[in-house]
Amino acid sequence: MRATLTLIRRELTAYFLSPIAYVVLVVFLLVTGGLFFGRATALTEHGPRGMEFPMQIILGHWIFWVIFLLIPPVLTMRLFAEERSSGTLEMLLTAPLKDWQVVAAKFIACFAFYLILWLPTLLYLPVLLDFNWKTFHFEIDPRPALTSYIGLAFAGAMFLSIGMFVSSLVRSQIVAALVAILFNLTFMLGGFLRPEMDTASWGYKLLYFFSVPLHFYLDFTRGLIDSRHLILYCSVALFSLFLTVRSLESRQWR
Amino acid sequence: MKMMIDVEHLTKYYGDYAAVRDVSFSVNEGQVVGFLGPNGAGKSTTMRILAGYLTATSGKVNIAGFDVFWNPVEVRRRIGYMPESCPLYPEMRVEEYLRFRAGLKGVYGSARRSRIDYVVRRCWLEDVRRQLIGTLSKGYRQRVGLADALVANPQLLILDEPTAGLDPAQIRETRTLIRELGKEHTVLLSTHILSEVTRTCDHVIIINKGQVALDRSLKGGDTAEQLEELFVRITGSEDDSPRRMAAIRS
Repeated sequence: MRATLTLIRRELTAYFLSPIAYVVLVVFLLVTGGLFFGRATALTEHGPRGMEFPMQIILGHWIFWVIFLLIPPVLTMRLFAEERSSGTLEMLLTAPLKDWQVVAAKFIACFAFYLILWLPTLLYLPVLLDFNWKTFHFEIDPRPALTSYIGLAFAGAMFLSIGMFVSSLVRSQIVAALVAILFNLTFMLGGFLRPEMDTASWGYKLLYFFSVPLHFYLDFTRGLIDSRHLILYCSVALFSLFLTVRSLESRQWR
Repeated sequence: MKMMIDVEHLTKYYGDYAAVRDVSFSVNEGQVVGFLGPNGAGKSTTMRILAGYLTATSGKVNIAGFDVFWNPVEVRRRIGYMPESCPLYPEMRVEEYLRFRAGLKGVYGSARRSRIDYVVRRCWLEDVRRQLIGTLSKGYRQRVGLADALVANPQLLILDEPTAGLDPAQIRETRTLIRELGKEHTVLLSTHILSEVTRTCDHVIIINKGQVALDRSLKGGDTAEQLEELFVRITGSEDDSPRRMAAIRS
């Protein structure tokens, strides 16, 4: 158990020692900050401009989802691919650590970094939710923001675990990132295709199950936690983690 | 004397290519064994199987009484492994890396601090303790790899070409170190430098084309020349080799 903690600590430190993490942080914060600024400014202009729910400022715009498509693959691409190509995987797998402990430690470190990525956006909440400093109370109902963050945590776990699985299959980090982006696209399609589709057709209903941007635009940002979405995220995440452990074990079959 | 390594009929195929074929040998506790062989003979493959990174196609490997396939974690707890390429994380500092590896191997707290002080001293790493591994020369990196192998005080050290790429002074220092370590640990080291085997080891195993060609103890009298003669005879011309190996063993 403590060995796993040691590995988690080292993996998390490794993120902060690599330039990729800082590039991701900057791009992410620029995009969310830009969206926040632009849309919040739009809200205060003259004329009829509305926003149904506060988190839709960030999560309702397609630019955010393009970034969200790219970030988990970039964060996870180095997890196994770099170790395999530099040979350090051999050192990791000859330590007295079980394969699933290695996978769990890397995933936890990666997920922790993802949560750290989202922490600065909490600064937007006092503005978005109209925090009254005198009564120490949000004037606008904060629960949709809460459900949005819950959804982001689970959806992030899903994309990160997919990225980690792909990383464990290949040697090249770039290939890992590109293939992970491809996999993630299948979960994002609805968000991009939706305006052109007939929302009553069964094709759309099927797409709705899988497309994460729709989950957020229709449910999570409105304060609705739909268990179907959470079950999708959890099951795909657990399945990907299982496959990653198996992928590591597969060296024994060769 | 207790048996530290017991290898029985070990075979490893990479697809159709047999890297290791029916290799059997055993190493007793406290021995320093030299694994000798030409390039591509199967030394590294055998060592990786012993360390638990690869799995054998068939055969049995017991280390300190535990089977490498059925009980890999117990085996790895008792092994300090240093691979040929000495892979390290270039973004970490030496001390940081050793703390990490010690933590992975179950050494914590004050025991970890004292072990790290000890291996840093033993492997001549005091000067580069706080240096980034990516900035170290090859010789220092090998020492970090060796320090990593030693940090949890394992019963068995498996060193794959520990002096590869070092300059003569470093080679001499490393050999002295291995001789000293041999007094407290069991050591299995692979090399193709014959003088290394005669100077540091008390037992030699020659591997050629995936099979054990020679397995005997060195009783001080063997010189590097005698070993070289044997080595050349064993790994000589291909059509003669079964006959030669039979002649050598008799």
